Amino acid sequence: MSDFSSALSLSSSGLRAQAERLRYISENIANADTPGYRRKSVSFETVAAAADDKAMVRAGPVKLDQSELTKIHDPAHPLSDESGQYEGSNVHLVVEMADAREAQRSYEANLKMFDQTRQMSSSLMELLRR
Amino acid sequence: MDISSAAAAGKYLTSKPATSPQETSANTSHGANLAKDFAETLQTAERTAQAAMTGGADPHALVQALAQTELAVETAVTVRDKVVQAYQEILRMPV
Repeated sequence: MSDFSSALSLSSSGLRAQAERLRYISENIANADTPGYRRKSVSFETVAAAADDKAMVRAGPVKLDQSELTKIHDPAHPLSDESGQYEGSNVHLVVEMADAREAQRSYEANLKMFDQTRQMSSSLMELLRR
Repeated sequence: MDISSAAAAGKYLTSKPATSPQETSANTSHGANLAKDFAETLQTAERTAQAAMTGGADPHALVQALAQTELAVETAVTVRDKVVQAYQEILRMPV
């Protein structure tokens, strides 16, 4: 496998990992108002390939945020206790937006690398053609 | 210094084995491997494209497979053009 095709598959693994991260972020945002929902987060890990030294990336196992759930005061809510409060989610929209933007930028960086690899290989072949 | 024609012929005979082309199996197997890799790349792209159409494959895998196929096809076409060009060059050679 040439370096170009390795670079393509590496960039592709980065794209896939960032897309998975974005999926968890959208899950968090969708469930921001769900009572008792805990924020999901993933950390990336290197795929250990014994055959070659390529270091692909993938999204690791999902972790649930163990921080305290927000208490919402609403005595009319069916889940509320004696003090009129119930537990909401521990999703903070600002944090999620920042995370989503970071995922987007990393995705763009991987996309740029993918495109650059393609351009480099085509210009190499262009050299032979004239 | 001995420069008689017989001596020169003798020297040439002794040096002949070094200049004679050697049949190596490595060369042909390399070409066969290349062709096999090429066919494999095309087949992977086709399979991924079919899976993506039916919703089974990740779009990233599709893009990656197509880009790799593009790279392989471009290389093959360029090499073929070069070979054809060389052939025509030889054909046009005045003898």
